[in-house]
Amino acid sequence: MVNLRPRRSCRTLPVRLVVDQGGDEEDSERESSEEERQDVEFPDGDPVAEPMADENEDEVEDDEAPEEVTFASAQAEAKEDERRLRDALRRDKELLKEKRKRREELFTEQKKRKLLPATILEELTTAPQTKVNESSSELKKGNVENENKEKKEEKMFPKRVKKRYMACRLKDQDLIDLRQQAAKGFLQKYLYGRGSNRTTVNKFLSLNNKRLLVKKPAVQFVNNSWGMERKQNAKKFKKQWMHKKKLASRRPNII
Amino acid sequence: MAAAERGASRPTGDNRTSRRRRPPPLTLSAHFRLRGVGDYFRGQSARTWCEVEAGWGGERTIVRDAGLEAGARNPEADGGMGEFKVHRVRFFNYVPVGIRCVAYNHQSNRLAVSRVDGTVEIYNLAANSFQEKFFPGHEGRATEALCWAKGQRLFSAGLNGDIIEYDLEKMSVKYSVDGFGGPIWSMAADPSGSYLAIGCEDGSVKLFQVSPDKIQLERTLERQKGRILSLSWHPSGTHIAVGSIDYIAVLDAKSGSTTQKMLMDKRHPGSQRRRCVVWGVAFLSDGTVVSTDSAGMVQFWDSETGTLVQTHPLTSSDVLSIAVAEKEDSLVVGTAEGTIFHFQLIPSRSDGKQSQWVRTKPFQHHTHDVRSVAHSPTALISGGVDAHLVIRPLMEKVEVKNYDAALRKITFPHRRLISCAKKMQLLLFQFPQRLELWRLGATDAAGKNEDILPLSRNAEHLLQLKKKGPENICCSCISPCGSWIAYSTASRFYLYRMNYENNSVSIKRVSKLPKFLSSAFQILFSGDSAMLYVASNQGSLHVIQLLEGSLKHLHTFQPQSGTSEAISLLAVSPDGNWLAAAGMSSGVSIYNLKHLKPHCMVPAYNFPVTALAIAPNTNNLVIAHSDQQVFEFSIPQKQYTDWSRKVQKHGLHYLWLERDTPITHITFHPKRPTHILLHDTYMFCIIDKSMPLPDDKTPLFNQLSLREASENVRRRHAHAFKISKKFQPLLFMDLLDEGTLVAVERPLEDIIAQLPPPIKRKKFGT
Repeated sequence: MVNLRPRRSCRTLPVRLVVDQGGDEEDSERESSEEERQDVEFPDGDPVAEPMADENEDEVEDDEAPEEVTFASAQAEAKEDERRLRDALRRDKELLKEKRKRREELFTEQKKRKLLPATILEELTTAPQTKVNESSSELKKGNVENENKEKKEEKMFPKRVKKRYMACRLKDQDLIDLRQQAAKGFLQKYLYGRGSNRTTVNKFLSLNNKRLLVKKPAVQFVNNSWGMERKQNAKKFKKQWMHKKKLASRRPNII
Repeated sequence: MAAAERGASRPTGDNRTSRRRRPPPLTLSAHFRLRGVGDYFRGQSARTWCEVEAGWGGERTIVRDAGLEAGARNPEADGGMGEFKVHRVRFFNYVPVGIRCVAYNHQSNRLAVSRVDGTVEIYNLAANSFQEKFFPGHEGRATEALCWAKGQRLFSAGLNGDIIEYDLEKMSVKYSVDGFGGPIWSMAADPSGSYLAIGCEDGSVKLFQVSPDKIQLERTLERQKGRILSLSWHPSGTHIAVGSIDYIAVLDAKSGSTTQKMLMDKRHPGSQRRRCVVWGVAFLSDGTVVSTDSAGMVQFWDSETGTLVQTHPLTSSDVLSIAVAEKEDSLVVGTAEGTIFHFQLIPSRSDGKQSQWVRTKPFQHHTHDVRSVAHSPTALISGGVDAHLVIRPLMEKVEVKNYDAALRKITFPHRRLISCAKKMQLLLFQFPQRLELWRLGATDAAGKNEDILPLSRNAEHLLQLKKKGPENICCSCISPCGSWIAYSTASRFYLYRMNYENNSVSIKRVSKLPKFLSSAFQILFSGDSAMLYVASNQGSLHVIQLLEGSLKHLHTFQPQSGTSEAISLLAVSPDGNWLAAAGMSSGVSIYNLKHLKPHCMVPAYNFPVTALAIAPNTNNLVIAHSDQQVFEFSIPQKQYTDWSRKVQKHGLHYLWLERDTPITHITFHPKRPTHILLHDTYMFCIIDKSMPLPDDKTPLFNQLSLREASENVRRRHAHAFKISKKFQPLLFMDLLDEGTLVAVERPLEDIIAQLPPPIKRKKFGT
């Protein structure tokens, strides 16, 4: 069963808290103000401790009469609270802004590092009728990775620039291949996929053997050249297994 | 064995599956059984079975001869073939690429076949179904549709989104146009041949206008929901029927709007199959749309009302293709199980007013999916994943019931894919995407007839040369000394220098090639490996001298006949003085290499040339044509030789003329000038010009029986054509030196092992 505690309005809460806790701890003023800020922003998600404290204070205050506070002082205090709030918010925003700026700078720096050196870019743009081949994307990658390669390609670039290139987007190439692959996949799925009633060649050829007068063995036993890969794999596995056994037998048995 | 010699009408173990009666349905077991007659592979006894075991997948050397009696000293005198050691090579891992599309052209009676790797081949059905033109494939092309348009123009479209036109004169790709719709799944030319409609991945149907030098996008019709997998024009050219996933739509070609949409029935509940894919549609002139789908049904729809008229459930697997005859009284469909079904329009009333489509004949000639079918006026043509091209003439349509009405099955290539460097005993295998160089093994033992000799040194795989770039290899050659390898793709030429020293091989590319050496149709090295002859696809022949590390261009011969026809075959004389070049449709031209000028032209013959070779010393040019005629032309005298005239007057044996596969290689014996060795896929033959010619009454394949016969019988019955069918299927056979032959075989079983998985079939009792 959920005990719904009585909800207090947002306005009254901060004033009361400040009044109660203000004199005792000045260090914790910020804490409390933070608390109350939290409370203001998330009035529903109040931490467990707070209502308990309030309840205790409620019990204490029930006996006494409420204190008298002048309107002006209350107003001043409220204004101060609001100002503090605003300051805190501004500080937060500035912090975030700074963080964002730093990240942007970092990214631009990385981008600059990724691009080709400015000299090569100039050559490329100024040379007439140059068309860049798709393999140049690989070149670019190579450039980024190794400084040594850059120098090599710098030397190679003057030669390449004079030849004729054709520019095409890698993204387009992928698109075309994807569609063709999808089409081939469709064929494969419908002809050789799950519901198709396919069988192996050996079984297919055995079907004839079964109806002969003199029964013959299956072709995979008769023809030694079938199943070469499986036989080779089996041989390899056997070698590895023997090797493992040998090693295991060499290690002394410690009881 | 005896059956073969009798010239009996039973199938004798080669491609001729029927002579005078209808063949049994050709299952795989039948195939093996056919070859069991006299064949050492599918032996009946355990002993021969074990022999085969030892030999599979590797190389064996056996001693064989025919017609030689033990103790006879002079083999030729007895009329025998002679004694040879035979290197039987089985390590050529040739797998033919599956057929994707087949398109028949009515005007020229030619068949265009496109394969999965982008290769396009043109078969001349009138010239004994010989493959006369060939466009090598491309890695980026995944051809899905092929069609002929007005004026003998060939177009193909594929999953890369381009429409490609092929130039049949220059043997190159004319241009490729982007369809702007994504991958193209189907394409059809309208009945007049002036428009092309393509069905794209995004659901749009685009119309292209075919103008004399290019095609242009004219209109996009209303866009449909799913991908357009099949397309068909109405014979009047006004409407287009498109098949997509779960529905068929009929579009108006002029306005582009959808006039009718027919939804496929949902499959009955309980089956786990996905949506119903309409793999093929055909539009008939009475408004009927025939559809074949992945549910295994052939359905007839009325396009006016959009209702289902008739449905034929054929199989439980997909029905992948459909083709309608021109007269629209018969159609053929191909299924994923390898069966093709023939439907005919049969009049149901006696006055012939009403007729109905009835499923008449099933044919099972394929083992894997039949991806494409075509209907010529007299035959059903089908091609599929198992790379067989099957041409099945329909008995009721064929007028003259002779051997032409037999089933034709084309599996093995009609061109030579292997070159041999005789002195170094090297073989160069040409694959579409790489070259492999092997050295033959050696044996020290000697043996008598039909022994299997143990190898002292195994065959070695010396080099694997992968192609550069996306285009497939078009042709390749190795020089007789083995030190040069050349190959060409559709746009570039590559030349490599080889170095063999103390058991290691090194290869170096010759990088500075002259500019005119861009692409070649045929490459040939001279006998002394000093000259290179390149036939470019413009019809010109380049003569290049090979020096150590560099090339020198000596001369270029322009085409003699005036037309720029591509050259399909080259042959050079062993002394290096004469060069013969056979064009694809023009005749054979002979060039004098000493004086570097054209010499003469062989009289034209209306069948294409399949093999060409020049004999040593006599300089006789031996030509084999696709109708199995063999001519001998004397180059110095510029006329046919006497022997050739004798053969033409006498006529060749009818069994020789009824062979299905073309002769792909001719070679000569260095010490016996009267012998010509030639081979096709199912036999190899030594023609002895000094012996009498057989006539139709004598058995042609009599070598095996003559071997056991007495001397007198042999002398009476021996004739010039000594044929052996021991090595089958042969891809290449050559004479390495006087007593050694090399035979490269490719058993069908090894090919089947590497094909994609077939559909599971259920047989009663298994």
